[in-house]
Amino acid sequence: MPLTREEKLRLEQKAHELRKLCLETVVWAGSGHIGGALSAMDIMTILYHKYMRLDPKRPELPDRDRFVCSKGHIGVGYAPVLAELGYFDPELLKEYNHTGSPLGMHLDSTKVKGVEASTGSLGHGLAVGLGMALGARVKGESWRTFVLLGDGECDEGAVWESAMAAAHFKATNLVVIVDRNKCMIDGPTEEVMGLEPLADKWRAFGFEPLAVDGHDFDALAGAIDAALAAKDRPVAIIADTVKGQGIDFIAGDYRWHYGSFDADKKAKALESLERYGQARIAKARGE
Amino acid sequence: MADEAIYAARIFLNGALPLLKPLVEAKPGLAKAFAGKSGVVQVSAILGARAAEYEALFGPAAPQAGPPRAGTHFLVDGGAVAVAQGTHPSPNVELEFPSLEALNGFFSGKSKKLPRIRGALRSPGLFLATMQALLGMAAALGAKEAPADAAGRDLLVKLYFYLLSSGISQLNKAGHPAVAKWARTSPDRVYAWAVEGKPELSAYIRVKAGQSRAARGTYERSKPFFTMSFDSSESALGILLGTDDMIEATAKSKIRMLGAPEYGAMLGELMLTVAGYAK
Amino acid sequence: MGGLTYTMLDAMKMSTAEYYGKTLCELGAEHPDIVGLSADLAKSTKIGLFGEAFPERFFNVGIAEQNMVGMAAGLAKAGLTPYLSTFAVFASMRALDQVHTDICYQNLNAKIIATHAGLSFGQAGSTHHCTEDIAIMRAMANMTVIVPADGIETANAVRAAYEKKGPVYIRINRGFDQVLYDRPDYGFRLGKAVTLHEGTDLTVIACGACSWRALEAARALEKTDGLKVRVLNMHTIKPIDEAAIEAAIMDTRRVITVEDHNVIGGLGSAVAEVAAGLGKSLTFKRLGIPDCFSIIGLHEDLMAHYGIDENGIMAAVRELMGRDFEADENWDDEV
Repeated sequence: MPLTREEKLRLEQKAHELRKLCLETVVWAGSGHIGGALSAMDIMTILYHKYMRLDPKRPELPDRDRFVCSKGHIGVGYAPVLAELGYFDPELLKEYNHTGSPLGMHLDSTKVKGVEASTGSLGHGLAVGLGMALGARVKGESWRTFVLLGDGECDEGAVWESAMAAAHFKATNLVVIVDRNKCMIDGPTEEVMGLEPLADKWRAFGFEPLAVDGHDFDALAGAIDAALAAKDRPVAIIADTVKGQGIDFIAGDYRWHYGSFDADKKAKALESLERYGQARIAKARGE
Repeated sequence: MADEAIYAARIFLNGALPLLKPLVEAKPGLAKAFAGKSGVVQVSAILGARAAEYEALFGPAAPQAGPPRAGTHFLVDGGAVAVAQGTHPSPNVELEFPSLEALNGFFSGKSKKLPRIRGALRSPGLFLATMQALLGMAAALGAKEAPADAAGRDLLVKLYFYLLSSGISQLNKAGHPAVAKWARTSPDRVYAWAVEGKPELSAYIRVKAGQSRAARGTYERSKPFFTMSFDSSESALGILLGTDDMIEATAKSKIRMLGAPEYGAMLGELMLTVAGYAK
Repeated sequence: MGGLTYTMLDAMKMSTAEYYGKTLCELGAEHPDIVGLSADLAKSTKIGLFGEAFPERFFNVGIAEQNMVGMAAGLAKAGLTPYLSTFAVFASMRALDQVHTDICYQNLNAKIIATHAGLSFGQAGSTHHCTEDIAIMRAMANMTVIVPADGIETANAVRAAYEKKGPVYIRINRGFDQVLYDRPDYGFRLGKAVTLHEGTDLTVIACGACSWRALEAARALEKTDGLKVRVLNMHTIKPIDEAAIEAAIMDTRRVITVEDHNVIGGLGSAVAEVAAGLGKSLTFKRLGIPDCFSIIGLHEDLMAHYGIDENGIMAAVRELMGRDFEADENWDDEV
């Protein structure tokens, strides 16, 4: 179902908050995977604030929806989402990466409520998510599993083992979203290890690929609706995104896969996020 | 057989005589007799016709005065007694037997013929103390019944354990056919004798591929391959003096074979062999 | 271990792997949370028996071990108890990142049945041998490692794995092992070695296919050499039975370990770690594959070739009995 204006406005405001909180977290942590966190923020916002059936007060709820952040290195973006919802005390974000802190570069499912799987080694999340989805089927339960993959992550053969299996087992209670920000550590994905035609690959492996603008809530909503309604083939949403979206001096730059912000950079970044966020909110208001 | 004389002599010289030391240490009267005395006391037997075989029979010869002899001597130093195998070139006191057979006869109690005694007049104190000790030892080992007092029983058990372990080892070193065969085919094993709760009475023998070593106390390096364990000194003496029935004792757990039980019978036979020469 | 009524007669007809397949079916009937996974080896690993009994609880993922392990993690997270099976070489190496990160790190309730371990798949060559998995799995935190000696013990291990919360790695052969036990109630307890033969001269600590061989060697040595050799079946490598190892060292002072595995990192190393920590002297020898890739051949022939069969064990025992562990070479009686 298409988003109402109120829903969309709410999502824009929420995403704006979360982008800023993500930047703060990177500063508290000392440094972080800011690029991939910002490119995925809209995806995580719409999943957690529109689609996923959850209760932050009861993280073990048996029929909750599951989210597997397979690109586990974006903990600095994922943790703020969970903190803001109340899975844990947001004050903990200030100790991100500190010695003994439950929050580190890759979120630990055994230490942080709300984190379904300890990811960080790329290529694992789809298998784990598939296992969850099939587990739901075996138990006769109706919760859904959402898996967020990085695009560079799709270099891993294990991803395609799992894709083939998901299609073979017709795991339509599994929704795959690829954060297609077109960058990886050593450069643009197409220069390092070409993925295109990526949608064709997913189709060949038995998925229904849906390519959408990863920063457009209406487009994302349409794709997720379609994914949840899938009957024969699971859906892989290929979200076209910009690495570091929102901070003008890092957006689209693969070198900002990972970085830190001194006081000066932070001020500039915050200012950029403010402008970007407000522009999107204004657009949502129809101004 | 002449070899039997060798076996018996080795048991007396190297098994029984060394018991003087623990005996003197345990009896205040004897300790007092030796107190303050120093010198060398020797018990020896002239070898006569078998002198040429000395080394083969007894091991490397120590320097000695007079006709070739086998012996054991005691080094007394201010009352402390140390035992040394073999002979000493110039003992202060010597009990000299004319032959191995004479020595054996005397110590087994079959003969009352005294040895030739030297140095008794020049070192009377040492001589008297030694005689006292030897008589005490003879009395102790000749007992037909267990002593009445607990200390006496413990001492006798200890003396027997030491005698049996060194007796078996000496028979092996002397080449006694049955004992040597047992030792020759044995892998590295330790056989021990013990009284429960009284580790100070223990003795053991280590055998390996023909070698043997008798030792006092408990073997610390590992659990012995086999331990003949008695629940008390009374029980031990009951078996050692032959007053108790072995089967009954086993049934009542007065004696326990720890480790490889089938080796208990073998050890028992070796003990009887020693007893055959010593009595 | 209720419910198992196999006797030696049955054991002779069933191979090790079939035992485990049947046991898993029994467990599966008792516990609806058990699911099975295979990577196109359902027939070879016999987990296919479970698959036939419970098709809706079985997933054959094809030749994709990493996906299989990841899926097992997901299924465990969904509250199920996955048993997954493939050849040991693939379970311990191809999918190790997944075993390490998805299962061990998150301490999930997945049970790995690794088959064709050691040199049991002899003729397939090193691509299918696995002489490193005990070393690897020991080093994974949270992992329990079991190496059952025969079919009946495998059945016991499979049951014990269900009761033990957390990751479990069970390592078995192709399934044509000698039969060691004739009944399942011989006293299998996780983490406790089974004494197969008593003795005080020397202890042989064995696991897997070598346990039966160690027992045969001990029996022969008693007859021919009059030696009393203690034999311990150390089926649980992690957590290892430290008390049994300590007793062996204290009682016999000579220890030989034997395994169908590299001498580096497996049972031998695990025993050595305990021994070194105890600080008691002992003579010690590890029998196993001598840090090399094996030649091809039938399992029995390979075990003979690398000295981990009865004859190899006997020779090692004789050699160790000749070695001195006393520095003292004084053979004079104490006076």
